[in-house]
Amino acid sequence: MIVCVAVVGHQNNPLYLQSFTEADDALKLHHIVHCSLDVIDERVNNPKRSAPTLNETFLGLLYPTENYKVYGYLTNTKVKFIMVTTDLDVKDADARNFFRKFHAAYVDAVSNPFHVPGKKIASRSFGSRVSTIVKSFGAGTTV
Amino acid sequence: MANYLAQFPDHQVLLRPHRRRCMFSYNWFPFATVEDVSDLWLNVKESFERRLPVKKACLNNKARNPVFVENLPAEFIQTTDSRLRSRFPQEQYLFWFREPYATVVLVTCEDLDEFKTILKPRLKLIVQNDEREWFIVFVSKAHPSNDQATKMAKKVYARLEADFNTKKRERCCKFDLHGPDAEFWDDFDSKMVDCIRNTLDRRVQFYEEEIRRLSEQRFTPIWNFCNFFILKHSSHFYLQESLAFMFEMSNLHEDSLREYDELELCYSESVNSPGKHREFGGLDAGDDQAALLNPGFKALTQIVQDDVFREFEFRQYIFACQAKLLFKLSRPTEVAARGYAFVVAFSKTLALHEFMRLAYLIGYGAEIEKSPINSASLSMLPWPKPATWPSIPPDSSSEIMAKEKMILQAKSREKLFNIHRKPLPLEPSLLLREANRRRAFLSVGNISELYDTADGSGLDGNSKLSPNRSTSSFIARTMSEGWEELLADVLPDLAECQKILSDEAGYLASCVKLLSLDSSLFSLKERQAFQSEVVRLAHSEMKHLVPLDVSSLITFAGNAGPPLELCDGDPGTLSVAVWSGFPDDIMLESLSLRLSASSTADEGRNIISFDIPPQKPGSYVLGALTGQIGKLSFRSHGFSQDGPVETDEFMSFEKPTRPVLKVRKPRALVDITPAVSSALLMNELQWIGLIVKPIDYSLKGGILHIDAGAELKIEESQMIEIENYRSDMEHSCSADSPIEAERVEKIPIENGKIKLPDWASDVTTLVWFPVRAIDNTIARGETPASPQKQSIVDGMRMIALKLEFGVFHNQVFESSAYCTSLHEHLVNAYVHMHVFLVPMGSRYWTGTMGTMIDDLHVILCSEVKASLHTKDMWLDLQSGFEHLGKGDGRPASNLFPLVVAPSSKAGILFIIRLSGTTDSDELENTDSILNVKYGISGDRTTGAHSPVPVNTGDSEELMFKIALKLKRPVLDPCLAVGFLPFSTDCLRVGQLVNMKWRVERLKSHEDASISGDEILYQIDANPQNWMIAGRKCGHISLSNAHGSRMEITVTCVPLVSGYVHPPQLGLPEVGEAKQTSGPERRTATLAPASLASGGMKASGGCVELMGTRKGSYLFIESQTRVAAARSPP
Repeated sequence: MIVCVAVVGHQNNPLYLQSFTEADDALKLHHIVHCSLDVIDERVNNPKRSAPTLNETFLGLLYPTENYKVYGYLTNTKVKFIMVTTDLDVKDADARNFFRKFHAAYVDAVSNPFHVPGKKIASRSFGSRVSTIVKSFGAGTTV
Repeated sequence: MANYLAQFPDHQVLLRPHRRRCMFSYNWFPFATVEDVSDLWLNVKESFERRLPVKKACLNNKARNPVFVENLPAEFIQTTDSRLRSRFPQEQYLFWFREPYATVVLVTCEDLDEFKTILKPRLKLIVQNDEREWFIVFVSKAHPSNDQATKMAKKVYARLEADFNTKKRERCCKFDLHGPDAEFWDDFDSKMVDCIRNTLDRRVQFYEEEIRRLSEQRFTPIWNFCNFFILKHSSHFYLQESLAFMFEMSNLHEDSLREYDELELCYSESVNSPGKHREFGGLDAGDDQAALLNPGFKALTQIVQDDVFREFEFRQYIFACQAKLLFKLSRPTEVAARGYAFVVAFSKTLALHEFMRLAYLIGYGAEIEKSPINSASLSMLPWPKPATWPSIPPDSSSEIMAKEKMILQAKSREKLFNIHRKPLPLEPSLLLREANRRRAFLSVGNISELYDTADGSGLDGNSKLSPNRSTSSFIARTMSEGWEELLADVLPDLAECQKILSDEAGYLASCVKLLSLDSSLFSLKERQAFQSEVVRLAHSEMKHLVPLDVSSLITFAGNAGPPLELCDGDPGTLSVAVWSGFPDDIMLESLSLRLSASSTADEGRNIISFDIPPQKPGSYVLGALTGQIGKLSFRSHGFSQDGPVETDEFMSFEKPTRPVLKVRKPRALVDITPAVSSALLMNELQWIGLIVKPIDYSLKGGILHIDAGAELKIEESQMIEIENYRSDMEHSCSADSPIEAERVEKIPIENGKIKLPDWASDVTTLVWFPVRAIDNTIARGETPASPQKQSIVDGMRMIALKLEFGVFHNQVFESSAYCTSLHEHLVNAYVHMHVFLVPMGSRYWTGTMGTMIDDLHVILCSEVKASLHTKDMWLDLQSGFEHLGKGDGRPASNLFPLVVAPSSKAGILFIIRLSGTTDSDELENTDSILNVKYGISGDRTTGAHSPVPVNTGDSEELMFKIALKLKRPVLDPCLAVGFLPFSTDCLRVGQLVNMKWRVERLKSHEDASISGDEILYQIDANPQNWMIAGRKCGHISLSNAHGSRMEITVTCVPLVSGYVHPPQLGLPEVGEAKQTSGPERRTATLAPASLASGGMKASGGCVELMGTRKGSYLFIESQTRVAAARSPP
């Protein structure tokens, strides 16, 4: 189950941050997302590691925490998508698929003429769309 | 006393662990025992102990190299001290390093016999123990005044020395109770150090031998499989640590560290050997805490002896000891490096044992302490999670329940500033991140890089700051937009850390950051706590003036609207809005340099005015705001914005800064030109117009100073008129646009100053002010032949103008000497009218008196740009002339009004004749006056105009008078002066030429005035044209007879080529009337044609005695030809 998704701008400023848990652990997930930015930076800036996946937007498993796995995705405009899941065995293809949908939703959201680039995404339709994607991800893995 | 080794030959017996052994105490110094033979200790104790700690002790390290120890802590105890007594004999070996290092034997004796019989044997008994290092202090009680006692004491001491000193070593020194000398103490110290060194050397040697022996045994096969391994090992441990400890006690930290290193190596060799597996994890309360820097964490010596120690504890202990020594040696970076290696290695071991997980579940704390070490160790755990968790002890389920309950109920730790917040869960993502990064970094390089970077970054002795640093780097990221919530959680921790480390600057910065976070993240109380913390620190005793960047908290901006524009040199006042983000009011002692008054900033907008000193040209944005709160100098960088921070509207990084102030380069700011350049009427009040044109600069409040000078008088009784000015071009341009209402305002002039009205500050205006050109001399007429050399400059007046203006019409500006002023020179012609007197016809006035009738042709030249209406004109003749007919010389009345158009001429003919027999002298001294009564119709915008009426009812008629000089013709010539032709053909520049004049008497002499032989002559030549080589004046003798003549020759050099007046001969003593010369001889026609023909031979024969006076010219050619031109008669 995906517990948190985030869109982070190219200056590491969060553009969208949404958790999908009942518990009051938003800040913790916040924290995890924030920490994962370092891993992304490290991957992007370290040519040795990123060489084979140079043109790959999907960054794969960023790092595991005790109860979560964090996956990342980096667009050409250096916008980062981060997904935190409690599922311990996620297929890369699923994660990739998820991010592709997520990316599409993001592109639609920022295409809104009223959206200010670099500012938080306030669109409600984007939010609902993302939660749909998040739910379908859970469904996809169970099926 | 007892030789331990001799007493216990079997060391293994000796080394048997003993349960009652106490652990090491670290406040143990090497000490010297005092064998108080003669009950003297109390007398000398104080002065002895004053010598402690021993200064500059020279000890030997393990390699037998001398090492100087600055301060060697030591202690004196008596041999009767309980600490020495309480030991079991067996223990004394193991704690041998605690045995006294020196024995001081205190003796006194006043009698030789007593010494021999009692003291000496006793001393022998005491010092017979070779194991001890001893020396004797002989205390002399003898008072220096008591000679006998002193002598005796000396004797006894000499005896003592003889008995106990050996050749190799002196063991005695003498202490005088009454005033010990300095030499004694040096002696005492050196003996003491000798003793300590010898003892130390001996013990080190002993330990080394023991260790070597054990080590050798360790590698023998028998040893390895020896059942007593542990025992051996612990003894080894003991020996080694004892040695290390001994070194440490002696301040030989380096050696001590080496021992610990060896010990660690030894341990790791033995622990990894097969067949032996030591218990790993801790079981006691507090074992879930790292004790890497705390060697006293556990009574390790005890449990080593008991053989119950665990690897986890032991390793930490060794590391702690090493770390402690390294800190003492001021090598904190090495601690870090070793620590890193240790953590890496240790965490591997940890992973094997999966200790932490259990600790978390059944540990005693609510959570594992969130120390960097623990977290780093945790993060080293391999991922994914181990397939199987280590089994939990079967009976621990109740414990786990209790634990979980405890976790749930755990209260959050109270943070600084009384912030209550649920702590972040244990998941050490932050530290995991940090550790990951380290690992990545180190996998590339090696440990030495860590050293380098650590040294490079100035991590000197502050390695304890490293958690601080890691948090700081985390904060730096978090400070970027959007992570405020996270920051709000972490920042108080950092602040607390900084506070503990007394990093004031960092702490203040953290407080400011906390304050600048979104106010919804903290309650008002919390925010107030932050502020009070800042203020408290600001007013507290800070060691250094701490600079603080409050850019995020105190923001400022110029006011909306166009930037304030100043010109180079203008002072100004800039209004700046300052926003304070402090929840409460805050006293800012000063803001910027110039604002001295204290000001209070409320939350929200405050408008503060700054006086700006004159700036260099350029465009300015708001830079940094600096100020002071107590001892805190804060600084805020500019966010130039028009209103409150509206980050939602624009991306901050794209926002251009808006200039608030523009200072221009020096340039013309205003242009003042005369509106009209035209002649004005003399002695009449006339308007002079000035066009004042501001050039993109406001003249608001400007003051125009007008200084007209002496010959122009400004009539201050009249009002100045100011009107809009539009040039012709503007008129044509704005032909189809609605024409602005012409605005004319009358303003007074006071002391030559005009205050410009406000409406005139930005538009071009025309300032009219009335002046009167004053000239009391009467104009003189002139003939066209000899125009008065009246250059245009002579007829001009100058008006000095000064305009004071500036942006601010305020007191500061006025009082300031710094004002931009303009001096504008206005040139105005005032020439009124010229009158030319033109003789008509070619006749010159000869003839008999009374019969000559001539017409006087007067030409009026108007030089004003206005038409003149001549209403009347008459000529008052000088004596000697009279009008023809009965009239008074007025032209026919139907001639008037005669209108003279601007800049044109009008001619009037008067017919006059000579009259009477007036004396010629009188004739010469008087002038004829031409009176012209006229009016003028002109416009001040074009030139002369009718005068400004000063009083109502003033006649518009003007009067103009001009003096004419009429000359009578020569009627009675006595002498004739003639110019003789040149002897040469032509004149050349630079060539000498003889000028000849002939003077001839026309009449015989009756006249007394010219009687006498001597006649004065004078050559008059323009020195720019001629150089006269001979005498310029002299006397000639001319006989009185009629027809007598005389030639005068003067040599001249022509200096310029062209037509020049020749030098002239004058006879100053002879009245003009009696010479045949006069202005009426208008023979000034030149002969260019003759010159064109190749040079005319100087026409000879011109000996007419009517020599020219003014009318003849010579043509001189510089190179080729010179013609003497004489006009034909």
